[in-house]
Amino acid sequence: MKVRFNVVKLLVAAGALAVAGGAMAQSKGQFTVSVGANMLKPDVESGAISAPALPNSIGDVGKDTQPVAVITYGLTDNISVETAVGTPYKHKIFGAGAIEAGGQLGTVKALPAIALLQYRFFEPTARFRPFVGLGITYAMFQKEEGSFRMTALTNPGAGVPTTFKIDDKWTVSGQIGAQVSVNEKWFLNASYIKTRVRTDVHFSTNQTQHMKLDPDSFILSVGYKF
Amino acid sequence: MRKTSFALALLTAAVLTACGGTDPRPGDQTPKTKFTQQVTFGDSLSDVGSYAVGGVAAMGGGAYTINGDATSVSPELTGKNYTALVAAQLGLPAPCAAQTGLLGTASTNPALNFAVPVTMNANCYNYAQGGARVTNPIGPGNRALDKAGATISLGATTVPVTTQIDNHLKKTGGKFSGTELVIVMAGGNDVLEQLGELSAGATTAGGTALITSLVQQLAPNATNPATAQQAIALAAQTAAAQGGDSAAIITAAFTAAGQAGNTTVAAANRATIIATASAAATKAGTDYSTAHGPELVAALGKAGAELAGYVKTKIVGNGANFVVVNNLPDVSITPSVLAQMTQSPDIQKLVATMVSTFNQQLKAGLGDDAKILYVDLATVSHDQATNPAPYGLTNTTTPACIINDTSKNLLGSSLLCNKNNLVSGDVSHYMFADGVHPSPFEYALIARYILLQMSGKGWI
Repeated sequence: MKVRFNVVKLLVAAGALAVAGGAMAQSKGQFTVSVGANMLKPDVESGAISAPALPNSIGDVGKDTQPVAVITYGLTDNISVETAVGTPYKHKIFGAGAIEAGGQLGTVKALPAIALLQYRFFEPTARFRPFVGLGITYAMFQKEEGSFRMTALTNPGAGVPTTFKIDDKWTVSGQIGAQVSVNEKWFLNASYIKTRVRTDVHFSTNQTQHMKLDPDSFILSVGYKF
Repeated sequence: MRKTSFALALLTAAVLTACGGTDPRPGDQTPKTKFTQQVTFGDSLSDVGSYAVGGVAAMGGGAYTINGDATSVSPELTGKNYTALVAAQLGLPAPCAAQTGLLGTASTNPALNFAVPVTMNANCYNYAQGGARVTNPIGPGNRALDKAGATISLGATTVPVTTQIDNHLKKTGGKFSGTELVIVMAGGNDVLEQLGELSAGATTAGGTALITSLVQQLAPNATNPATAQQAIALAAQTAAAQGGDSAAIITAAFTAAGQAGNTTVAAANRATIIATASAAATKAGTDYSTAHGPELVAALGKAGAELAGYVKTKIVGNGANFVVVNNLPDVSITPSVLAQMTQSPDIQKLVATMVSTFNQQLKAGLGDDAKILYVDLATVSHDQATNPAPYGLTNTTTPACIINDTSKNLLGSSLLCNKNNLVSGDVSHYMFADGVHPSPFEYALIARYILLQMSGKGWI
C-alpha cells in the first residue's frame, strides 16, 4: 500500500462514516472535513555533529508544502477534536555553519500524526469562529536519504555510503485558527500549529546530532459540513 | 457512534502513514563532476609510495604515515593518505607513484638495501615524493644532505614539484586533459630544510662562541698564556670537528688548559667558567637565529610565489580545469617543532611566520581563479592543535610511531612506521604519525576538508 492516497476517497469514506449534522458550524456531534494545503516549516536550531567533525558542523532543514485533509468532530458546541492527514513532507537537509559549503546533504520524509482538542469561540451559528487547540503529535521520520556529499564529509573513500536515522518523537502541539462559514455547508479554515520537536540524528558513522526542529505549520483549507 | 467514526478516521490516518519502505538509504553516491583521473604533485604528505621499494618495503613502510591496512586493529588505521581517500571517494583508481626508486646505500641485506633503480611508472600519476621541495632539488632525505660518516643513507630522490610537473607534461604530450583532478601540496620540506640550515648555522655560531669564551677564561692563568691560547683553542676545535657536543668541547678545553699549566684556577672556577661559556654559546646561537630568521621567512615567501607560478603557468596554463592547491599546514604545531622548543624557544614563532609567509605568497599568486581551489589546511591544522576534541583527535603533540629508537625504526620516520612499531596505547586518533606527518585518521580529516571545499567550489 502506498503512503500517498487519494484525498477524494478519504472524503467519501469520511462522509460515509459521518452522520449528517445541523447546518450550524461545528456544533455538537458534527463532522467536518476540509481539504487544503499545509506548509511545514521547521524552525531549526541545530546542534553540532559529534566528533569527528569540523567544529560547528551544523545542519538546516528546508520547508515543504503538501495537501492535507483536516477532520474535525464536535464533542460539544464549543469543544471539538481534530486530526489532519496528508502526504509525507519531503524536507531537504543542508549543511550549515562550518559545513555550509556542503550544500544539500540529504532528504527526509516527515509524517506528523496529530490529534488536537480544541475550544471554539462564539455560537455555532457565528459566521466567524476563532479557535485554539492543544494536542499530541507523533513526529515520524522516514526514508532518510544520504548523498555523495554526505559520505564525502563523513567517511570519504571507504566505499561505505553514510546513512542516517532521525528519531521519531511523541510530542505536543499548540494551535490557533479560525473557521469562516461561506454558506450553510461550506467554510474556510485557517490554522497555525506550533509543534515542539527535539530529536536526534544518528549517522551510520556513529556520529550523532541533536536537532531542535520545532516546526511551524500553516494550514489553509476549504471544508464541508456533514 | 459518532465517536467511533472519528476513531476510525484516526485509524485510517495511522494505517496510511505506516505503509511503504521507510528505511534510511544512501542516496545518489556519484559526484557532480566525473573526473577521469587524479594527478598529484607534492611532497611526503601526498606521496603514495615513491620509496616503497627495497629496504623500505621490506620493513613494511612506504608512505609517510602509519603504513598498511591495520583496520583489524582499529578502523582508523587504513594506511591511506588523503590522496587515496579522495580518489576512492571520486570513484577513481587508487593512486600509484609515478616514479619509484632509491639512491641510497646498497646492502645484501634486503631490509637495509636502499639502492633500487629509479623507475618511471607509465600508468601512475602521483608524482609526490617525500622530501620534495618546490624548486630546489635537494630536500630532506636526499643523499646530498647526509651527515659525514653516515653508514646508512636512504637516498630519497626528492624530485621537486616543478620537475614533477615537467615529468607529467612529458608523459602527456605537454597538455592536461582538462577532466583530471590535479592536486598540489608542497612547502613543508622548504621549511624543514631551511630550519636545518639555520640550526646548523646556529650550532656552529654557538660552538665558536663557546670555544672563544673558554679560551678567554682559561688561557690567562696558564704558564704561557699565548701558547696556551692556541693549544686550548686547537683542542676544543678538534673536539668540535669530531662532532663532539658542548660537554666534549668543554672537557677538551679543560684538559688542554691543565696541560698548559692552568689546573688550580681552572678547577676552582670550573662551574663558573662553564656557565659563562655556555651562556656565551647560547647567546651566539640565538643571535645567529635572530639574524638569519628573516632570510628563512623570505626564502619561504619566494617558494610560495614560485609554487603559485607553477600552478598558473604549467598546470592551468596547460589545460587543467580542476586544480586543488592545499596550502602548507601549520608546521609550527608539529611534534618536531614542539620538541625543539626547550632549546630554541623562538622556533615556533619563526616557523609560524615562515608558514604564513609561504601561504600568503601562494594565495596571492594563485588569485581568484575558477579553475583553482585554494584549500586552507593551515587554519584547520592550527585549530586541530588548539581545539582537538570536535575533530575526534586524542593527541596532537606526540607521534604515534616510535621514532627515537633505531632498533624499532631505522630512519626515525613514519616512512618505516606500521602497526608493529607504534607507541603503546590506542594511537588510532593521534594527529601525527611522526614529527611532522599525519596519521591515517588525520589524513581522513584532511580528505574530508578538501572534499568539503570542492563541494563549495561546485565541483562535486
